[in-house]
Parts: sequence; structure tokens; C-alpha cells
Amino acid sequence: MNLADKEILELNELCHVLVEGTLSDAQTSRLAHWLATSEEARQFYVRAMGLSASLFSYASEMQTEESDTTAPAAKIVDVGWWARWAKLGALAAAASLALVLWLEWPKQPTLPVPAPTDELVAQLTGAKACQWVDNGSSVQPGGRLHKGQKLELAKGFAEITFDSGAQIVLEGPASLDVKSAWAATLNRGTLKASIPPEAMGFSISNPTVEVVDLGTEFTMFADAIGSATEVLVLKGEVEAQPNAGADQQPIVLRERESRRFATSGVSIVHDSEEKFAQLAQSVLLDHFIPPTDYMHWSFNEADGDIFKADASGTPFAAADLKLENVLSSALAGAHSAGRWGHALQFDGHLFAKAAFPDISGNTPHTVVFWVKVPKDANLSNAYAMVAWSMNSKNFGSHPIHIGWNRNPNEGTVGVLRTDYGGGFALGSTPLRDGRWHHVSVILIPGEDAKSFVEVKQYVDGRFEGEGNPSPPGSEIFSKLSGATSGTVWLGCRLGINSVRQERFRGEMDELFIADRALEPWEIVQLMKDNQLPQSELAAAKKQN
Amino acid sequence: MKQEPQDETESRKRLMTLMTRHQRQIFGYIYTLVPNRYDAEDLLQETSLVICEKFDEFEEGTDFVAWACQIAYWRIRYSRQKFARSKVVFNQEILDAVARTASTMTSELDSRHEALGNCLQKLHPRDRELVLTRYEPGSGVEEAARRSGRTLQTAYKALARLRKLLLDCVSNQLAGRGAT
Repeated sequence: MNLADKEILELNELCHVLVEGTLSDAQTSRLAHWLATSEEARQFYVRAMGLSASLFSYASEMQTEESDTTAPAAKIVDVGWWARWAKLGALAAAASLALVLWLEWPKQPTLPVPAPTDELVAQLTGAKACQWVDNGSSVQPGGRLHKGQKLELAKGFAEITFDSGAQIVLEGPASLDVKSAWAATLNRGTLKASIPPEAMGFSISNPTVEVVDLGTEFTMFADAIGSATEVLVLKGEVEAQPNAGADQQPIVLRERESRRFATSGVSIVHDSEEKFAQLAQSVLLDHFIPPTDYMHWSFNEADGDIFKADASGTPFAAADLKLENVLSSALAGAHSAGRWGHALQFDGHLFAKAAFPDISGNTPHTVVFWVKVPKDANLSNAYAMVAWSMNSKNFGSHPIHIGWNRNPNEGTVGVLRTDYGGGFALGSTPLRDGRWHHVSVILIPGEDAKSFVEVKQYVDGRFEGEGNPSPPGSEIFSKLSGATSGTVWLGCRLGINSVRQERFRGEMDELFIADRALEPWEIVQLMKDNQLPQSELAAAKKQN
Repeated sequence: MKQEPQDETESRKRLMTLMTRHQRQIFGYIYTLVPNRYDAEDLLQETSLVICEKFDEFEEGTDFVAWACQIAYWRIRYSRQKFARSKVVFNQEILDAVARTASTMTSELDSRHEALGNCLQKLHPRDRELVLTRYEPGSGVEEAARRSGRTLQTAYKALARLRKLLLDCVSNQLAGRGAT
């Protein structure tokens, strides 16, 4: 017999008071009754308590990371239950040895790494009759936007796509602050926000309200002096937290619902029907979507140790992929069932390479593929899924490696990691789970050696992790790489002049390398359809 | 029989690997039976000592978590006998019933732990901070309320709501995976 909603609510409340240590005698009796008489109740209880146990672990890891950041020299973690292991100091040698390692615990799945303050977090992706207030606030079509950048639109429409995938159409006159890939402030004016599921949690705030998206499309009108804001939900739902007035309880607004948030309090929107009708009229924007050239290895058909490449647009001078370090008797085993058709299976020994001169040029690229990493993959199997070298002083002789993190001092072991000259990016989704994950890495090299290099990672369509500077002590060599450049390498780690011993273990499918930074929604589309949207289709899709 | 030094080193390495990998799961099992963080940590510590002592009895290739949880279970029973109700909320009958259920759910709980990482990311940063502050070592609802500028009562209610939200999010994620 399944638990009824009412029973679940009661059990949930009982587990809550138990965790908080405020269980009354009556509640203790009630919980005991449930646990003694119902297997479903016991399962619910185990899940609820397991959630709290996991939260202890995540919170402890977060605190550990902060501790590492502020005091990098202090290697011994002295927080939480880890510290209690110190009591084991009097144990026999075996236990003492164990203690040292337990204190340096590999980090469990954790939250995204905080981004640097000068990062680029969004892009102007569309416009119509767009006029900026002055030259200082103007943005070029397709221009990238900094964290903290203020946009002052005098008239017309401007579409901003955040790296999280959230999209805003700003209608002038309006003023908007870009706070991060996940947040913006509407100072005044009107905006319409479209938030795909991958960007759930994106928020827009101002002095009167903070709107947190729960997967939706909504509009905000903020008056010129920041004293009132109207929120109208077109699809899905949002959580609106009043920032002013006596009652600041969050309000969930659903489709076709609206509210006015003012310093005096929350009220209804009197002309909401009229406004909803206006919003139903779509605005045709000019989009700045350049054509995409890309190479694609599907791994569906093998000719011995060769996998065919196919190209779109102006073909790259890329060649078919050739397997290396594999016996002919093992070729069949390298070709397994994939996420789409067949996949290439890396056994920890073989690797593959394809001539690809453009990959080493100082231009943006997006590398996209499906990957499945076995649960028991060793640390020596972390490098690399994809690797290449750049002929750029920005990267020096450091090759670019896309693999998974094996350094617990720098982040969670097993999450997506991209290393490049001068820094690395870390994701947050553990990849070592024996399941297929969709991986995209955008690399935008700076124009010269002093320019900021952008690296953005997406896992399963969700933005997670951008490049951070290398820790002090790392060195960027001035010598340019030669032997490994002009080639894309799969399944191996690159040294300065040759392939190193480390090999990736796992499966890879549907590798795309595009000649520009794909937009977040294009990455999602590629994940869903296994093909890149064509420019004209893309423009049509964005008119919706 | 006493182990040779070489064997002993290998055995230690093996023990360290297993404990490194599975400590969280063992703690989760103990916390489910003894739902007080500090009591559960004490019991984890005591359990770990027994695991160190008895590791030569562990059969390679068998389920380490199940073996360690058995040791934890007996430590919890011992704790109950020694300290009456201290450290253990439930009577023996309920303890046994919950222990049986928990022992059949270790794999599911692992998946739930992973899914929780994703669900935490989906929370609004303000809510995520509230939850993680509550669960930080040495912290609690009071500290979470103080840092977030909420009243104790509001923080308490928000935590109840967020736990339910996370519980549902995790279940939905696992249901979604099962469907594909």
C-alpha cells in the first residue's frame, strides 16, 4: 500500500522535527508507530534521514573548500566529523596511517566553483532598433558582457543570453545590471525572460522584488524610480520574494498570474489582461548567429582502425580518426553500442588522433561529445577524453586537456575538468557513474598574450564551471608546442612533444568540434537532436 | 596468525581505500538509526576502530559496506545496552526493523546522494546557503538563521520546506533516470 499525501506530509514533519531535535513525546510515539507498522513509512524515513546525512557531507565539503581557499597551506582539515578522527591518534600504526588519509578525504560531489570577478557571463545575441543611452553603455552585436556590466538601453529591444542559458529581451528605455550567469538586476524598464529547464534558478531582482525562476517565461515592468515592479508569468511558475513592505513571504506565481510589488506592499495588477494580451505579440529580432562550421565523428562506422569524419559548412581540413596502440584482434572491442548508434571504447591503452590544423589556431572552438566513465575508473584514467595543443602564447606549451578531475585538493574528484595554459575549469556533476553524460567545452582564446581566456563547461546541457586561474606556482612556458599541435587527440594525455603514458578509460560518442562558441540553447539542441541547428532554423526558433 | 609486514602494508592500503570510499555511507546508516549528528559521529568513530581491529576477518570480494554496517549495528546495540536510551531514540524492535529496511536501500541511497548534488545546484543561492549553513560542522538552525538574516521561526520553516523540496527533487531525478 502506498502512502497517501497526508501521511507523507505527516512523516515529513516528523522527520523534520527529529532532525532538528524538537521531537515531542507525542511525535516520538507517532513516529515509532509508523516505523513499527509500515515498510513504506520506514523507506520514507530512511530516505529522509539519508538526505540529512548527505547534507552533512556536502556542507562539510563546502566548508573544507572554503578553508582550503583561505588557508592553502593548512592541509589538515580541522572541521566537522573529520576532526573527530584526530581522537584516533593513540591507535596502533595501522589505524594511525589510516587517519592521515581519512583527513585528506576526496571531495564528494559539490557545488560550482565560484567564478572570478572579471569574468564574461553573457552575450548580446539579438536586437531590434536598439539604441544605447551613450557610448559607454553600448554593446556591439554578438558582444560578450562582463559580470557587473550595466546596460542602459534608450529605445528598441536587446536580447541577452546568459551563459546559464537564461535569455532576456530588454525593452527600452531600460536599465539592467548583469550580475552573473545566473542573476541580473532590472533597475527600470521592461524585460521578458525565457528560462529553459537547464537554467532553472536564474533570478532577477530589484529593490522591490526578487524573482527566482522555477522553469518558465515571465515579464517584469519596473518603474523609473525603483518603487514598484509588476511581474506577469506567461508560462510555468516563479517564486517572487518581496524585498519591501511588511509581508516579505515568498509568493509562487503560476501561469497567467501577476502581482505588483511596491515599497508599500504587494497588490494585484489592475490591467493584467491587457498586458498579457500585449505580451502575446512576438517581437522579431535580428539575431547575430554566425554560420557554424564543424567536424563530426559519429563513431558509427569503422573501417579497421579508421573512423570517418564528416563536415558541415566550409569543411575544415580535418582527417578521419585513426586508432593507435591497439591490436587488430582488439579492434572489435573498441567499437561498442553508444548513446547514438555506436561509440568508441577506450580500454585504458588505446588512443586515437586525427589531423586537424584549425584546432590549434587562436580562434574560439566548442568541443561537444557524449562520454560514459566507468564507476571503477582509476585516477590514472582521468586524462584525457579530448586533448590538443594551441599555437598561441596564451597557452604556451600547455596542451588543452578535457578529462575528469583527479586532484582532490583542487575540487571534487570525478567532475569534468578542462586544463589549459594558465588555468583550469571544474564542473560539479560526477562523471564516474557508468552513465552517459553530455559534455560541452567552449574555449575562447584571447586575441593576444594579455587577453583573458574564456573556458566554459556544460554537462548534460547545464552550465557548470568556467576557467579559473592556475594556483600560484604553475608556470606557463613561452615555448610553443610543435609535435602535438594541428592534431586532435582522444583518450590520451599530451606532453610537450609527445603522448604521455596516461590513458582515458571509458566510452565516447558523437564528437563535434565547432568553429565558434555555441550558445547554451544550441548545446541543449545538440544534446537532444544530435545535430546542430542550422542558422536559419536557429533564427526561426528564437523568434518564438 | 600474525601477518607478514608486506601483507600488513597491503591490508592497510586496502582498508584505507575502502574507508575512504565508504565512510559517508556508513555514517548515513548510523545516522538513520541514531538521528543525532554528534552521537552518530561518536558511533562512527567507535565503529571505525572495530573495523580496523577486525579487518583481517573481512572477506575480499564481499560487500564492505554491508560488513561495516553490521559492525555499526552491533555498536549501536551495545551503546543501547550500556547507556540505556542514550544515543538511541528507538526501541529494539523498531531499531531492527529500520536497520533491515536501510540495509536493502544502500544502492538507492548512493544514487540519491549523487542526485542531491544536482538538486542543491537548482536551489536559489539564498536557500542553498541556508541549507548548507544549517548542516555545517558546529552549526545549526540558529546559526543558519543568524547568517541569513531570518528569524529562528522563519529559518525553521524554510528548512522544512527546503528538505521536502530536495527530497522530491531527488525522487524526481531518479524516476527520470529510470524512465530513460
